[in-house]
Order: sequence, then C-alpha cells, then structure tokens
Amino acid sequence: MDSATVEKIIKEIGNIAPAHAGEHVGRVVAVGDGVVAIDGLSKAVMSEVLVFEEGKGKKLADSMEAHGELYGLILNLEEDGVRATILGDTARVSEGMTVKSSGKILSVPASEELLGRVVNALGEPIDGKGPFKKTTLMPIERQAAGVIDRKGVSVPLATGTKAIDAMIPIGRGQRELIIGDRGTGKTTVAIDAIINQKYEPEATRPICIYVAIGQKESKTARIAQQLREQGAMDYTIIVDAPASAPAALQYLAPFSGVAIGEYFMDKGRDVLIIYDDLSKQATAYRQLSLLLRRPPGREAYPGDVFYLHSRLLERACRLSEEKGGGSITALPIIETQEGDVSGYIPTNVISITDGQMFLVTDLFNKGIKPAIDVGISVSRVGSAAQTKAMKSVAGGIKLELAQFRELEAFMQFASDLDKATADRIESGRRMVEVLKQKNGAPIPLERQVAALYAAGHAFFLDVPVNKVTEVEGQLMEFLDGQYAKTLAAIRKSGQLSEDNKKELNKAMEEFRLAHPELFTVK
Amino acid sequence: MEQSYAQALWKLVEGGMVPAKAVRALHDTLKAHGREALLSRIASAFTRIAEREAKRSDVVLTVACEKDERHAHKEVKEALSAMGVDAKDLKTQIDDTLIGGWRLEGKETLVDASYKNQLLELYNRVTA
Repeated sequence: MDSATVEKIIKEIGNIAPAHAGEHVGRVVAVGDGVVAIDGLSKAVMSEVLVFEEGKGKKLADSMEAHGELYGLILNLEEDGVRATILGDTARVSEGMTVKSSGKILSVPASEELLGRVVNALGEPIDGKGPFKKTTLMPIERQAAGVIDRKGVSVPLATGTKAIDAMIPIGRGQRELIIGDRGTGKTTVAIDAIINQKYEPEATRPICIYVAIGQKESKTARIAQQLREQGAMDYTIIVDAPASAPAALQYLAPFSGVAIGEYFMDKGRDVLIIYDDLSKQATAYRQLSLLLRRPPGREAYPGDVFYLHSRLLERACRLSEEKGGGSITALPIIETQEGDVSGYIPTNVISITDGQMFLVTDLFNKGIKPAIDVGISVSRVGSAAQTKAMKSVAGGIKLELAQFRELEAFMQFASDLDKATADRIESGRRMVEVLKQKNGAPIPLERQVAALYAAGHAFFLDVPVNKVTEVEGQLMEFLDGQYAKTLAAIRKSGQLSEDNKKELNKAMEEFRLAHPELFTVK
Repeated sequence: MEQSYAQALWKLVEGGMVPAKAVRALHDTLKAHGREALLSRIASAFTRIAEREAKRSDVVLTVACEKDERHAHKEVKEALSAMGVDAKDLKTQIDDTLIGGWRLEGKETLVDASYKNQLLELYNRVTA
C-alpha cells in the first residue's frame, strides 16, 4: 500500500464521528417487476432517493464485494408506506430488507467532463473511460424557467438539412417534434443536426445531448461511432437507457438529459437535446404506473402522461440575457403506428411542441430522403430565427412543392397538360431532387443557400431529373473551388447581398458554359 | 378492497370506537352494499395490519455477542428516549456479522453503531 493511501485511511479514521445519528428507515414488504412496496418511511418525500441496505446479515467481506449501492426512487406516497422503483437490479432486493431515506431528490452529475462520454440515466459513465473527477449535481426534476426569465427565439439552429433549414427552420430554444413511422429516418435527421454543429464557431456551438430511450444498444453504439468518426462526439453527450434497462431508467433518461443540459444552459451555453424517443418513454411510464397501481386512463396510460411530457419539454427554452442567455433546443422524436398521428401520445406531444416535421413512409420508399412531408410540417417560431440569406431563397419553396404534389397526383389521370402546368411539374420534380440529401452529410448554410438559389433561378431546368443531384454536387465543388470567397461572405453575414447574387449568377453561367453536356433537356 | 375496509376498521378502533361497535358498523355497511362475502378477507387483512403495526412498534437492539449487551444497553439510552421507547420493551438479538458495537432498529429509525458499518463506510470512502 502506498503512503498516500495510508494517509487517506488515517484521515478517514480521524473523521469517524463518535456520535451515531439515527436514520429514517422503512422495510420492504413486497417486491416485483422493478417496484417495491415499503412499510414505514412516513417522513419521506416524493422523488426522494432511497438506499437499500444489502449488507444486513452478511459478513463484512461479502458486503465489500457488493457492486455499489442500490438505489430506489419514491414514486408513490401511500397511507401505510411508500412505493418506489428500483434503480438497478431487482434481484438484489428481498422482502424484509431495510431501506434508508437519503433526504435527497434524485440528481445527476454534470460537468464539461461529460462531453464525449456515454452515461446511463443516473449519469454514471458506461463507456469504460473511467469515473468523472469533478461534477456538479443537477436535480432531474426542476421547475422550468418562468416567463420573465425567458427570451424570444431569434437565433437560428442550423440542422444542415436543406428541407428543414429552408422550410421548417428551427431556432435556439425551440421545441420541434420529429414524428413518423418506424424506419422513416427520424433518428438520421436528428443525428445530422448534431453533426452539422461542427460547422458552427466553437464559441457559439451548441452542446449536443442525445438521449436514447428503449433503443437497441447496437443502434446507440453505431450512433456513437458515427459521431466519433465525424468529430461530433467532442461536443456531444449520450444518455443511454437501452431497451434492456429497467422501465424506471427509461422513464428517467430524458429528465437526466435535460438536467445535464440545464447545467450548460445556466452557464450561458446553447444546448441541443434529442429525445429518441418519447413514445418509448411513455410506454415505460405506463408500465411503471400500472405496477404502482395508479388508475389507468386512455390506452392504459396514467392520467398524468401529458404532464410527463409537458414538464420535460417546457424546460427547453431560451433564457434572458440577465439569466445568462443560454438555451435548450429540444428535438423530441415520436414514433407513430401506420402513420396515425391522431394517437394519444402523438397528439399530446404535437400540442406541446412549437412545430413538427412529419416523415412519411411513402416518400421514403420513393427514395425522397429526408422523407419530410412539407405540406403538414410546420415550425411555429423558427421563421423568426431564419437567416436573411435563407429567407431570401426559401420563400416560395413550400408553396411550390405543395402545388407540385397536387399536380403530380392529378397528372396520373390526365395525359394532356398545358405548358404552364407541365413547367410547374418539371420545376417541382427538380426541386424535390435538390432537397434530397444523403444521411450523415449535413450541408453548411452557405452551400444550402447557393443550391436553393440555383434551383430557384431555373438552373436545373435543363438538367435531366435523375442527374440533378449529381449536377448540384458538381456545382458545389465548382463554387468551393472558384467562388469560396462568395460562400464565406454569405456564411459570415448571413445575408445574400446583391453582390453575392451577381457572383452566384456569374458562377452558374460559367459552370453552364464549362459543362454543356450536363444540360441536355431542351 | 378488503385492505381498505380493514384499514378503515383499524382507524375506527384507533380513533377510540368500541371494537364491537366498529365491527357492527362495518357489517352494516357491507350488508348495505352487498359485500358481506368480503368479511373473512377483511379479517385476514386486519390481522396483517395488526402484525405490521406490532412490528412497527418493535424496537430491536442487535449486538455482535452476548458480552456486548450490557455495554450496548447503556449506550442506546439516549437513542431510546429520542424514540420514546422504554428500555424494558427493547428486544435484543445477536448477529456476529456486526463484528462489534450495536445496531438499534425500530419505529422507522435506524442507529447503526456497529464496527461493520463503520468499516464499510471507511472502505467506501477510501475506495471512492
């Protein structure tokens, strides 16, 4: 044993107080499915952390081998005791076990050390990179900022997805729901938004938190790997409550994520948090509530399932300058069944958030990715935060696409079309192609603006539809090489000045002359 | 449901009602609601409540060995008075895993002055 350890032990022996304070305790009377009924603890409070005393009757050596302390969380205060959920392995709890009240509300550790790490719903590291050294405890349940402490959404949060930044813009402090059936690219949109933050200046770059709820561990590992490869893990924290975790941890994970986010927001930083997904959290909460014998309501969810999501999402906001000016932007994800957005949980979350983007299976199957149905997607506050450059090029896209979708349906029955209608359809087809994007490849603002400017100025009309994406890529390469200054100016000012427009027009003309073979449609 | 009825009966009696009168009132209520069949189950639930309450009022002093008992009795006096328990009502048991010291548990309070607990706390702090 080294001298430092010996010194530490001597100091600890000196710290042992001779007086013995009494602890408030109860006794386990029933245990099952992750929920315990405890007799006693009459002074305990809601959401208080409990500690199960596993060492009773065990020898010292056996007690020392226990895998850390086992905690519980009080969820029901009843007449003759309390009901709590076990935040760990249920098999470690037995009837008659003594349970100590901790006098503390559940909190998670938060600090800059968490960046680049994967933690569980209790904030404990699970990536094998060792414990955190210095952290601040943040309560997982906290009152959301009040009206006076808030500020309007006015700073854009670029997602790097053209369709979103152009038509459903998101501002810092906004809550934008991503909703759709399974396998429609919801997670991809969210992950691309995280990756895109690497283009932001370091001082204003949002801290990203990805909360995986009820996901396969392989999927979360793949996402962590993707973020690491793209260099996005440096400013990202993953909170993981996999499908194999107890329902209690799946229910708690979003709250842990936002508590970590609040640590950074309180320091004046911007935070982007993704809850993937809240349908699974609602399911976990339903399971817990039924086990806690709370009365079931619609679809067997408890009566407070709306409050579960509203109190979580209300914590996403933009603080006033007096409060540091930080923000939390939330992108909750909801999975629908067979495109039914009128389900209980989807409608609840739609009504809580500041807008939603619908991802549709039909579009996804047609190869339109991201498969966003722009007709029914909306951002209620984000347009106030959209940059002037984007506003100037994205103005008519939503209308154009909506008209195109209607005409496209009509076209299936009518063979003879007048020129104006045919032109609109051709233009719409090309706009759809321009808005397509590969996953894991977010596009910076200036390139989005340039692509949409070109599309809006009939640049792609002479390009065959199936070649639009390829030509767009070549045009971007050309701009990067020859007009980097113009792109940089757009990025810096966030505006598309007359000079910028002239430069882009010139660039498009030069490109067209240099590649006549690409413009084959007469 | 029987649990709630048993709980109500317990509270009535604890509140000062004569047991026979309380049972009669319960019987009348059950009859009026057509729930007389619950009576036997209510009796079982009532027994469980009584057992639980008895356990709640139990205060147990645990020591590592018999020779520690007298010393422990002296030390727990203060804790017992804080709990409002008479030393005569104290039950004593032996648990050699405590190594030394004593442990007092009852009335929702635990005072653990065992050597095992102190060593365990020390171990957890040093290894944290």
